[in-house]
Amino acid sequence: MSEAIIPGTAGSAVDPTRSASTPPRSWLAEALYNTFGRVGARIGAVWIGVIAFCAVFAPFLANSRPYLMKSGGRWSSPLLEQLTGVDVTLLAVFFVGLGLMFVRKLNMGQRAAILLWVVALVLPLAYWPQIGVIWRETQWPVLMRGGLLLLGAIDLAALVGIPWSMRLGLRFQLIFAVVLLPLVVLLIVRPPNPTRVPIYEQYREMEAAGQIEWVLRAPLPYSPSDRLRDQFDPNRPHPRPPSWEHPLGTERFGADILSRMIHASRIAMGIGFISTGIALVIGVIVGALMGYFVRWVDLLGMRLVEVFGSIPQLYLLLTFVAFFGRNLYLMMVIIGLTSWVGDARFVRAEFLKLRQQDFVQAARAAGLPLRSILFRHLLPNALAPLLVSVSFGVASAILAESTLSFLGLGLVDEPSWGQLLNQAVSAGGGFYWWLATFPGLAIFLTVFSYNLIGEALRDALDPKLSGE
Amino acid sequence: MLNYIIRRLLLMIPTLVGITLVVFWVMALAPGGVGASLLSAEGAMRPQEREELRKYLNKRYGLDQPKWKQYLRWVNQISPLGFEVDDAGNYGKFTFKAPDLGESMPRGRPVIDLVAEALPVTLLLNLLTVPIIYAIAVTTGIYAARHRGTALDVSTGVLFISLWSLPVMWVGVMLIGFFANRDIIQLFPTGGLHSTMADQMTFLPRFVNGTWERGWLLDTLWHLALPVICLTYGGFAFLSKLMRAAMLENLAADFVRTARAKGVGERAVLFRHVLRNSILPLITVAAGLLPGLLGGSIIIEQIFSLNGMGRLMIDAINQRDRELVLSITFVISLISLLSLLLSDILYAVADPRVSYE
Repeated sequence: MSEAIIPGTAGSAVDPTRSASTPPRSWLAEALYNTFGRVGARIGAVWIGVIAFCAVFAPFLANSRPYLMKSGGRWSSPLLEQLTGVDVTLLAVFFVGLGLMFVRKLNMGQRAAILLWVVALVLPLAYWPQIGVIWRETQWPVLMRGGLLLLGAIDLAALVGIPWSMRLGLRFQLIFAVVLLPLVVLLIVRPPNPTRVPIYEQYREMEAAGQIEWVLRAPLPYSPSDRLRDQFDPNRPHPRPPSWEHPLGTERFGADILSRMIHASRIAMGIGFISTGIALVIGVIVGALMGYFVRWVDLLGMRLVEVFGSIPQLYLLLTFVAFFGRNLYLMMVIIGLTSWVGDARFVRAEFLKLRQQDFVQAARAAGLPLRSILFRHLLPNALAPLLVSVSFGVASAILAESTLSFLGLGLVDEPSWGQLLNQAVSAGGGFYWWLATFPGLAIFLTVFSYNLIGEALRDALDPKLSGE
Repeated sequence: MLNYIIRRLLLMIPTLVGITLVVFWVMALAPGGVGASLLSAEGAMRPQEREELRKYLNKRYGLDQPKWKQYLRWVNQISPLGFEVDDAGNYGKFTFKAPDLGESMPRGRPVIDLVAEALPVTLLLNLLTVPIIYAIAVTTGIYAARHRGTALDVSTGVLFISLWSLPVMWVGVMLIGFFANRDIIQLFPTGGLHSTMADQMTFLPRFVNGTWERGWLLDTLWHLALPVICLTYGGFAFLSKLMRAAMLENLAADFVRTARAKGVGERAVLFRHVLRNSILPLITVAAGLLPGLLGGSIIIEQIFSLNGMGRLMIDAINQRDRELVLSITFVISLISLLSLLLSDILYAVADPRVSYE
């Protein structure tokens, strides 16, 4: 699987012994360099950077809980105590990624593999109290426990397999372990265990009652689900237009819109990348098999592609959503399951072109296993159209999620841009311009950024246009 | 040609079976299975009634049977060729019969009637949209190719990409919020396909006793203006880029140089030689646009309260109307499958070089 998603296979082809004063760039790195030399792609990258920053640091940017406070002579940090497992994992990945940018020896594939390893390490540690609860109090013991055991096995395989297959050298592995050791110890001693029903207004009430001696708040002191129950005022019903307290106004139930938008960027990014990843894995496997084996596999596969291609995606999504529950992770899987057709077509077309070439014949003659021929020898040549389709795919996945939320069939309580947009026109005919303008703008800018990058990538990779 | 059409039609059968499989199993694998959604209204009933309903549903949909039997039953029901089934659920002989899309439980009406009411609205919306998209995209594509690299070429490119990225629901909400709003600007109606008085209007606009009367046609167009705007702008980018690329390729071709060399006028070169060859790829993608447009019209119909297939779908989902959801997805897929076939045939008709023998 890792071969399919990590673009480093092309990068690793570069001879490491040739590292002279100017390190040679792989073909893929060259293409990326060309892409981000373009103005459009740069603008897009800047906006996505902003969204990614919001996604990683959402709890620090907008939170009802103070960073640090002194109450009754005791110092505490409600914000840190209430971080969730996702928060911790994202932060760990972000900082490790930041550190890796300064390590020059690694190529892109190795960096991605290290990040994957960090996820495999931190995620189960961050969630072990919840996993314990699920293990004990599950409704379907066999199913859930089996699933957990399977996930655990996959996780363990990744933990052991990734360092083993990367051959990074003992010294590097040691440095890495020492850097991550404090985090591991911290997570074991104090696992993230947020309260299930948070009472956001308690800090404001404590402050009003004079129980807090010293406090440091987040820049936007409202959590996305903080419905401001303590500030109820029958004369000023929600949604309220933008004001100094709430820069972008409040939504129907009284939560701060800016706060919800900041936290929604996390869902947008998550849906975008994970569902595109799922679509990519399915598309690459189906497309590779079709393009390589031709004949009846192709005939059968093309029928499958035709089936999923001719049901309009939104209808298929709605059918899924209608009969299954509404859940973030299910939504990622569903959007992924309904959008792999394009990838499969690209890979198939590319493989059909390549399958008779000498290097494939040679690989087959050398007795390489199918997995190796398909993913190590053929796939790197088909990466170009895939990269373009990934970029457009992320855009359309984000759009799909906000469309579902807009239609009222998306997530229930979690913040989402589409869900805010849904409230802009009320049943009574009222129009709340702030609820339409800001979330819509966020969706547009994000989709536009990915499309700009996709367009630039396509131009950079297209040999026909390189003469321009 | 006929051979090809027949072969394509035959190849459609496995695809159609695949579509029914996907649609049915999505529903059957859902928590609670097929029956859960039907029985959800039983809370308000007396035990005896509930038992009766359950018995009836089991008989009607075979809910007490294994899932694959339910699937075969459903396929038999919607297929034009199959076993006849009488009201009691007994199977008759194997013949051609009228395909039956079932009955919508919450509404108590045959699904086919509901679809027949909703489909024309959606088709009208889409059939109005496609020519507009083509007219604008082809014109700008030609212009951009002729003036390649100029500021206008680049700026239309960027403009169209940004239009393509504009979420339909945002544009729809903003348009309806700002231009169909009593408090801001009321230029357009807030929704629906006709005014309430449309039945009494004449078809064409006219003056009655010195007062202007809109007439049925203009009234409908007035109602459709905003929805059609929302549905069109996204299609420009893809088509004009395709048109531009095809034009550029043909402008550099040998036959164009030959035409110019033998003294054919620039207009004739452009419109008779280059354009005719460049329009081919656009014909092929015409039908490929349809699935996207049909998806987009769900949102449009919801925002502008047009009673088309999309709105019917959303209502069906909210009411857990199993037969309706199944049938709508099936009908919509059938339409886009047929349109894909149509575009392949059109391509063969338009380009004499293409042969499918």
